[in-house]
Order: sequence, then structure tokens, then C-alpha cells
Amino acid sequence: MQGPVIEMRGIEKSYLAGDVVFRALKGVSLTIAQGEFVAIGGPSGSGKSTLMNVIGCLDRPQSGTYLLAGHDVSNLDADARAFVRNRLLGFVFQGFNLLARTSALENVELPLAYRGVASKERRARAARALQLVGLGTKLENTPNQLSGGQQQRVAIARALVTEPRVLLADEPTGNLDTATTEEILALMQGLHREHGLTIVMVTHEPDVAACAGRQITVRDGLIAADVAIAQPRRANVDPPGGH
Amino acid sequence: MWWMALRLALLSLSRNKLRASLTMLGILIGVAAVVAMTAIGEGAKESIEKQMTAVGVNLIWVWPGASASSGVRGDANRTAAVTEDDARAIGREITSVLAVAPTLGVSAQVVYGARNAATRITGTTLDYLTARDWSVSRGRSFTEADLRMAAKVCLIGETVRASLFGRADPVGETVRIGKLPCQVVGVLAPKGQGSFGQDYDDTVLMPITSVRARLRGSSGREVDQIMVSVRTPAQVRRAQAQLTSLMRQRHRLQDSEENDFSVRNLQEMMETFERTRSTLSTLLLSIAAIALLVGGIGVMNIMLVSVTERTREIGIRLAVGARSGDILAQFLVEAVTLSAFGGVAGLALGVGAGAALGKAMDWNVTFQPLAALVALGTSSGIGVVFGFFPARRAASLDPITALRHE
Repeated sequence: MQGPVIEMRGIEKSYLAGDVVFRALKGVSLTIAQGEFVAIGGPSGSGKSTLMNVIGCLDRPQSGTYLLAGHDVSNLDADARAFVRNRLLGFVFQGFNLLARTSALENVELPLAYRGVASKERRARAARALQLVGLGTKLENTPNQLSGGQQQRVAIARALVTEPRVLLADEPTGNLDTATTEEILALMQGLHREHGLTIVMVTHEPDVAACAGRQITVRDGLIAADVAIAQPRRANVDPPGGH
Repeated sequence: MWWMALRLALLSLSRNKLRASLTMLGILIGVAAVVAMTAIGEGAKESIEKQMTAVGVNLIWVWPGASASSGVRGDANRTAAVTEDDARAIGREITSVLAVAPTLGVSAQVVYGARNAATRITGTTLDYLTARDWSVSRGRSFTEADLRMAAKVCLIGETVRASLFGRADPVGETVRIGKLPCQVVGVLAPKGQGSFGQDYDDTVLMPITSVRARLRGSSGREVDQIMVSVRTPAQVRRAQAQLTSLMRQRHRLQDSEENDFSVRNLQEMMETFERTRSTLSTLLLSIAAIALLVGGIGVMNIMLVSVTERTREIGIRLAVGARSGDILAQFLVEAVTLSAFGGVAGLALGVGAGAALGKAMDWNVTFQPLAALVALGTSSGIGVVFGFFPARRAASLDPITALRHE
């Protein structure tokens, strides 16, 4: 384990729900080291989604400090947060969130396009990322020609193509059946183990959370439990691509 | 950023071809109308100018009777004659005058052998050819003696010559004008057509004295019209004022009385015509502007729909690192591309329609590159103006909300 990649101190975030102030995060402090695989769980309304949004620089805390890879990102404006998302973070969502009618390759190229990488290099890097997730033969397929598991692999490739410091996965297996869930978990475990990728994953399924090396439970806007797991469950499929 | 935005715009438009084409329609019609209208208007202006120089811009006409613009005055006595003496006085007293030609006309049948032609016979003086900047191509003009003696001589226009004589030489031949035998002494050089379609060459000139005595059978001094030519176009206005006061003086009009004659110059007539034309084209251009406005609102409407439909896409783009400027550019460029396509299509349609209309109506149509440029600039400008609001709405979306959008 190396130094911390995420350091949060006293993060607070409230929303105005109607005319009632809802305190989603009530002073969360959290440190995640480089190379960890963390699962964040908790009942709905606990604040885990808000926490994920703050970690992902999609949202800005009202108070507290957040250091991401050593940079203070707690008070950045929208464009600066977009820059941070592009350079340091990779996102995987429950609903895959791929661009429709757009090939897998172009979907994966997207973050590089906004980084201004030249088209040729972009294609090469996107193709490599797709090979890494086992979709080297599906470069030109559009999302509706791919299965749910394959779509999520494209999303993972898109998250990885920028070589992010942290992969953020928000219920990545929420829309998948059991077998495909295991496939995706195996892929994530493989990336974590073999490439030392830092993964923060929100899930409410204990089976899925059990695959991580550390389980954090959020309740009522605070961290209720933070447990290291000595023996994470191995997802029972070999990661594709023969790593 | 812009290059990428253009690629995305083309992609998005090609995915919604029908919708894009319908949206373009408003812009297309507006631009087509602008292009066709300016071409037709410009063409009309050019033919007016051409005619002005053909007829001569330094001409002033005087004829009896108050001008119609001051309303109908029912008093028959007020219509005093304009006479040959008036013409003489004008030539004598107004220094900037180059030539004064009183005219007296009749319509008559001209017969030569078995051929005949119905034409206008104009009786005038030697100055007529000078005033109209006309010359005799064959034979001679008539002389002072011809005038004095009311000689039975005439000059024929090219059209009359062609229909009566064909290839034969008319000079020295005798034609019959009505019942009057008359010798052709010369042929007028061809002058061509006026822009209202009249044929200047379909005419016969005679000494004014001959027309009066032999064709009209009258003995007075009155004329139909006096044509006055001024040395330079710049002197026209002043000469007209002098001429008017001279005529008032000669006709012994009190200050309170209206003119009992009318004076017009070609510049005025052209200006009137030009004013009508420009009023008309202003009207048509404002209709075109309304079409463009409506087209712009159509673009805005469709872009707002597009932003709503693609909220999730915007969320994805923001999540992977697009800045709000990237999103703004994407949608702005899409709006501009949409309306610029409309502009190009409208330009093509406008040129086509203008040319077809010009051909069908026999109008002179002049296309100006500047108008095309303005049309394209305007349509792109409409894209910017009406695309900005939807694009800003897209760019200001919150990534979290946008990603959750169903």
C-alpha cells in the first residue's frame, strides 16, 4: 500500500428538499490509499450517493477539505472539476451510460477527445483499453449490438482509457444478472490485482461488496462502519482476456 | 473543440434528417426571398439607369395642362396652350439650354407601294435630333427651308424603313402619309428599345409646320409638347426652375395661380419610379426578414427539444470531462450548421427562382455576390442568436441531474 489518493476531512453537504434542508453528509472523514478496492454500502437515503458524487467531483461539498491525489479539489468551479474528472477519475455507472448509436471505440475515445488527444493516438489507446476488458473484437459495435455485460465492459474501458488514479463504480452490477455480475467483478478484481488500480465501488449487495478489500457503511450522513476484509471473495469466473 | 463540435453537429443532424430539413425550411425561404428580391430589384434599377442614359438624363418636357399631381381642376379655360413661341422664348432666355424642340404628333398610316405601316408621325424642328442625341444614318435631315415652306418631306425610323422598303433604298422615294404624298429625305440611325418595351425606331419625323398645316389642318401656334435639352445633367434642376418661371411670366399667371402647364424632367420621373421600386423591395425584404425570424424561432425550438432529448448524453459528456464550453460549442455549432445549411439551400433556391422569374416575366435580374454573402452571414447569425439560448441551457446542466435524466 502506498500513500493516500483520497483524503477527506469533515465533508458536509446539504440539500434543500422543498423548504426543508436535508443534511446528506454530516462531516465525513475518509482516507483511501493508492491501490485499495473499497466498497461503499448503506441503505438508500444514507448519503452514499452524495458521498460518491463528492468523491467523483461531480458535486462540491459545502465544508470540509478533500484532497484527491494531493490536490485540494474541495472548492473548484464546474470547469475545474470537469478537468479533474477527465484527468484523475474514471466513472462506471449502473446504467452503463454509453452514447447510443456510437461505436464502442468512439465511446471509449470520448474522454480523450475532451482532453484534446489527436485522433490517431485516441483510437490506438481506445482499442488497447477495449482489448484489456476483453472486447478487442467488438470495436465497431454500437451499444445496442452488445449485451449488458459487454456494455459495462465498454464503460470500464472508457473509464480506464485515461489511466485514472481512481475508478469510481456506482452500482456497476445493478443492471446485470448473476453470471454477468461475477464476470464484471472478476474483471475489476483482475484490474485491481494486476494493475494496482484503486477502485471505489458503491453497492448495496453484500455479495458484491464482499469482493472488495474494505467495506465502508454509510448511515445518516456519517460513516457507521469501516472494515478491512482479510480474504475478499474471489469472483468465480476468470477475468477475460487471459490475464 | 470547434472541429469536434462540427463533426458532432453533422452527425446529430444526419440522424434527424427530416426534422433538420423541416427546421431549415424557414431559413431557406427567408434567404431565398432575400436573394431573389435583391436580384430582381437590382436588375430593375439597372435597366432604369440604362434607360436614363439611353433617353438622355438632361431632358425636360413641357406640355399644356396642370400636372395631374395637383389634382383635377375642372376649369377648361385654365388650360392655356403651349406654343412654338414659348419654345422660342425658352431657347432664347435660358442660357443652359442646348436645344429646344416643340413637337406635334399624329398617328397615321404610312404607305409605300403595296406595303404599309401604322406609326406615329412627329412634327418637330431641327433641334429635335440634337435634343434626343439622334442622328441620320442615310440621306439628310430636313432644313430651315423645309420648315419654312412646310415641305412634304420626312425622316423615317429604322423599323418603318424595314417594313416599307426591305432592302431597297428609301432615300428620294415618295411615301403616302395618310393622304399626303411625302418624300423620304433620310433614315434615322437605329436607337433600339426603351426598357418599357417601346420601339424608338417605329417613328416618322416631319417638319412641325408640315404636320400642322397638312396633317392636322390647323393654323395656330400650339404644340403638343416642348422637349428641352440642357447642356449638362447638373444644370437640369436650375434650368427647370428658370423655365417654369419664364412660362408663368409668359402665361401671365398671378402668384396665387397654379401652373397651366406641366414640366417634368427625366431624372424626376426616374426618381419616382425608383422610389416605388425601393418601397416595394423594402416591403418584400421585410417579409423575408419575418420569414428569417420565424425560421430562427424554429431553430431555437428544435434545439431546445434536442437539448432535452439529449440531456443524458450531455451528462455523460460532462462526467468524462467535457467543460461547459465544450457543450456550449457543440450545440451552438449544431444550430449554426442547421441554419447555414438552410442559408446555402436558400441561396440556391433564390438564384434559381430569381432566374426563372426573370426569364418568365422578361425582367432584368442581377445577382450580387454581396447579397449572397449577406444571406449566408445572416443565416449563420440567426443560428448563433437563436442557438445561443438552447446551447447555454445545455452547457449549464448539472452533471448529476443530467445523468439521472430518463
